[in-house]
Amino acid sequence: MFAYIFRRLLIAIPVLFGISIIAFFMVRLVPGDTVTAMLGTNYNEAQAELLRQKYGLDKSVVIQYGLWILSVFKGDLGISSFTNEPVMEIIVGRLPVTLELTIISIVFALIIAIPLGTVAALKRNTPVDYSASFFGMFGISLPNFWLGTLLILLFSLHLSWLPSSGFVPISDGLWMNIQTMLMPGIALGTAVGAVTLRMTRSSMLEVLGEEYMKMAKAKGVNNFRLIWKHGLRNALVPVVTVLGIQAGYLLGGSIIIEQIFSLPGIGQLALQAISNRDYSLLQGSILFIASAFVLINLAVDIIYAIINPKIRYS
Amino acid sequence: MKETWKRFRQNRFAFVGFLFIFLVLVVALFAKWIVPYDPFAMDSTSSLASPNAQHWFGTDQFGRDIFSRILYGAQISLKVGIIAVGFSLFFGTIIGIVAGYFGGKIDQVLSRITDVLFAFPDILLALVIMAILGPSLTNLMIAIGIVYTPIFARIARGAVLNIRDSLYIEAAKSMGVSSFHIMRRHVLPNSIAPLIVQVTLSFAFAILAEAALSFLGLGVSPDTPSWGIMLSEAKDWMEISWWTAIFPGIAITLAVLSFNIMGDGLRDALDPRLKNER
Amino acid sequence: MKKLLGFLGLLLVLVIVGCSNDKSTGSKNVAEAENPTKVSGEPVNGGELSIVDLNDAQGLDPHNETNAQSMHYIENMYNTLFKYTEGTYGEIEGDLVEDYKISEDGKVYTLTLHDGVKFHNGDKLTSEDVKYSIERIREMLVRAPQFEAVESIETPDELTVTVKLDKPVAPFLTFLAYPMNAIVNKAIVEENGGSLDTADAGSGPFQLVHWKKDQEMVLQKFEDYFKPGLPYLDKVTWKAIPDETSRTTAIRNNEIDIILQLSPKDTQLLSKADGITVEPVTGTYWEYIGLNVTAGPLKEKGVRQAIAMGIDREAMNATVKFGQATALTGGPIPPGHWAYGELDTYPKQDLKKAKALLKEAGYEDGFDITLKVGQNKAQVDAAQVVKQQLLPLGINVEILQQEDSIFFDALGKKDFEMSIVGWVGFVDPDEFLYNIFHTDEVWNQQAYSNTEVDQLLEKGRVTGDQNERLEIYKEAQSIIVDDAPMVFLYANQQASAVRDGVNGFDVNPTVTTKSLENTWIDR
Repeated sequence: MFAYIFRRLLIAIPVLFGISIIAFFMVRLVPGDTVTAMLGTNYNEAQAELLRQKYGLDKSVVIQYGLWILSVFKGDLGISSFTNEPVMEIIVGRLPVTLELTIISIVFALIIAIPLGTVAALKRNTPVDYSASFFGMFGISLPNFWLGTLLILLFSLHLSWLPSSGFVPISDGLWMNIQTMLMPGIALGTAVGAVTLRMTRSSMLEVLGEEYMKMAKAKGVNNFRLIWKHGLRNALVPVVTVLGIQAGYLLGGSIIIEQIFSLPGIGQLALQAISNRDYSLLQGSILFIASAFVLINLAVDIIYAIINPKIRYS
Repeated sequence: MKETWKRFRQNRFAFVGFLFIFLVLVVALFAKWIVPYDPFAMDSTSSLASPNAQHWFGTDQFGRDIFSRILYGAQISLKVGIIAVGFSLFFGTIIGIVAGYFGGKIDQVLSRITDVLFAFPDILLALVIMAILGPSLTNLMIAIGIVYTPIFARIARGAVLNIRDSLYIEAAKSMGVSSFHIMRRHVLPNSIAPLIVQVTLSFAFAILAEAALSFLGLGVSPDTPSWGIMLSEAKDWMEISWWTAIFPGIAITLAVLSFNIMGDGLRDALDPRLKNER
Repeated sequence: MKKLLGFLGLLLVLVIVGCSNDKSTGSKNVAEAENPTKVSGEPVNGGELSIVDLNDAQGLDPHNETNAQSMHYIENMYNTLFKYTEGTYGEIEGDLVEDYKISEDGKVYTLTLHDGVKFHNGDKLTSEDVKYSIERIREMLVRAPQFEAVESIETPDELTVTVKLDKPVAPFLTFLAYPMNAIVNKAIVEENGGSLDTADAGSGPFQLVHWKKDQEMVLQKFEDYFKPGLPYLDKVTWKAIPDETSRTTAIRNNEIDIILQLSPKDTQLLSKADGITVEPVTGTYWEYIGLNVTAGPLKEKGVRQAIAMGIDREAMNATVKFGQATALTGGPIPPGHWAYGELDTYPKQDLKKAKALLKEAGYEDGFDITLKVGQNKAQVDAAQVVKQQLLPLGINVEILQQEDSIFFDALGKKDFEMSIVGWVGFVDPDEFLYNIFHTDEVWNQQAYSNTEVDQLLEKGRVTGDQNERLEIYKEAQSIIVDDAPMVFLYANQQASAVRDGVNGFDVNPTVTTKSLENTWIDR
């Protein structure tokens, strides 16, 4: 198994490398120039030249990439040309928000998906199953930004239960914090919940069809215990993989959701970097998000290998 | 084929989805003739009118008829879907088949590139590509197309790998049949079933992606009656005029839902053994 | 001179009050604005106030920032020599300056500072700091043009500053009152390596606690503030909420006390809400269609006039601004300002005349053209209306929406055909006109050039007498309107939403928040 993990790690390295190349060069292709964007209407050649030197923009692109990647290894993503802060610091400062948003979304997704998916599988081809399946389909199809606005309309505007936007850090009170994160979490988590529900249902069905389950049932093992101990545990293995794939959706979706709810997370940061033409910040956040995705999937694969004895390490 | 159609018909969900897509298609094709109002015509005297006998879905800020705009919006959504998915299907399949068929170094390189592109969340990648290309409908379609290319490449490659070493390909090779010919005549047809499913599902994604990008203001020109743009504009008005936000949202959801349901149904119909995974 | 200013200020207040009365008959939902600073009872010390704006600031360096959000933080952390008098539009009074004299020829300003002004670090604010600050402004380039006539600054004693100009500059006091031209502490500037981006080198009523960009900006009361008894508030928290719905919801859910700038829609929405007062005044922000006069059909004066004639400003005002803006049928200076041009060149949409003008210019069948806009929602909306309104003239407008950074870059490089954007006319007519219509000025994005206008604007700059200036600016405006390098659309209203219990906050046309030092909360 270690050989397997090692091999997975080896594959991840060129991918991470590729990400850095794409992140860097894609950002260079974006029209508009940081220096002009920074100086705005106060543009003058002398000052622009000075700034170009300061940010190393006067060197060739390949050298710029080389310098950048070297400093990335030292944990330095450069300086944001807009706020003058180190990009790494900005990203680390914003990380907790996105992390919390993602966790709440996943928790919400699991709370919905696992019971519903299990019940749907057990009551196969009944109205319960159909409505669960329909919910699964509906959840995938519902645009998260529309769901977000509908939630604001209902819970903030009409019922005044939850604040419509903004972020309160956990240090300012857990309850306040959860209040601000609940709606964004639901808006983002619904689609994940829907996918996970479908996955839970189908893998549960598969497990229920296995010989040992039939046998256990014939032996008269208590129904609830049976489902819990044998069924669900085995059925959850593929669900973990699905969550790994959904990490990409969550990271991308957070861009929109953070915008709607004014959450100062990494997604909002990337959007700002785009509109400010902040090269180092943009490539830093792209690199960060994409690497996070790769690493999460790596972790999921490894976990999968550990919890699933049936895997072939090939 | 008949068997497949029969299985598909039996899936009531999927069939309803199919019918709805057909309806959207008809609406999109004939929008010009069936809209009650010019979707661009403004009327400052009936700004934000609630749904009524004249304006079934009400009017927006500029007094434009929302119903007419939604009908036109079907055009945009389908156009984006067809061209973006066509783009990714075309390039993705070529990349996938080439990688799978030749294997070795070519496969290594192409697969790694695919992996790398896969690592970018779709919206982020599309956003950056849009920033590079600039906002316009064409660019939006290209951006979404690029984003979904790796999926098709992966599917096509997988399908090719399944049959690459099969006897009849070996036979064809040994008979000196050209690679291009083998790929076209034998490899491609075998990849079709999973690709069709993916095409349908990608339509759903493409419509969502267009709406999302337009919603963020990085999509099409602001007066385009795209569902995403309508929703983005409505966001500011929904409190005093709910209809501006509700109807475009319903339109997006229904269209996406239909493609998803149909894709699901197709998957079951084409290959009952295919898993419910995505 | 001082008396004259005061008198004119008073006159101005009357005109504005008259104007806002006029307007309230047009939109009944909007609260009356006759007495924006409602003071009920005695001020109370203490309390915390939270105030919301659209975006967060870019930085805190007074002499280097250009964005309005930075200005709101800075004006509360720093003092300026002069300030805009509350509740007025154009009147100026001393802030750090206790008394001042202007020489006959308008070239020598002798300023006497208040005694006992302290910086937040305890240092005494002296004439040396004033000198240093003005020199720093000139070095930082951003606002150097305002001080380019400064010949010398002398500091005969700790509290006296003598500024000599090489020519009279009519709006000089207005420049000194501009919140960004703040007086900074040299020691702090040097401690921070010359940049005040995240530092506080001020003497203002509030001092910096922390600024977490895009989250919150917290200011606390400066105990040693030189104005006795002020400020009343213990703490002011600024938040940036870019989303409109979120802003209005937050104030109705009592999460915040003030929304600094309301969109016309929110003005309408919140004026119906309980416990919230919406206070509108005529603002300084006016919007226009910029016409690049260097190339294509827009080179022809007739075509530009046809466009100005083909726009239905009232319809646009109705859908884009809910009828709350003031349509500009003449020049850019709005009715209510003393330099209002009293022109009515394009009273209403006249397609017939517009078509005739197009025909004369040789564009009978119209033409295709692009229109660039940024991310400002109202301007994007306006672009859509322009497109529809010009359609009957055969002018096919393609709207290109760009991110702000790209958009302003394009404007600066004159890389556009048509644009929709706005300009903040801060107080003096010189600031309304000179930078955008004088040949080759940085902000003259339309590349407009007319020697007659140039001469008038130069003359207006150095003329002291208000009546004479009025005539000059009237003439300049009438030429500009006729040449139509811009199609003036409307002057916006500035409105803030203030929760009941908040007193003493002045909703100012310039959106300045300096009155927070006089604001108190009574709940």
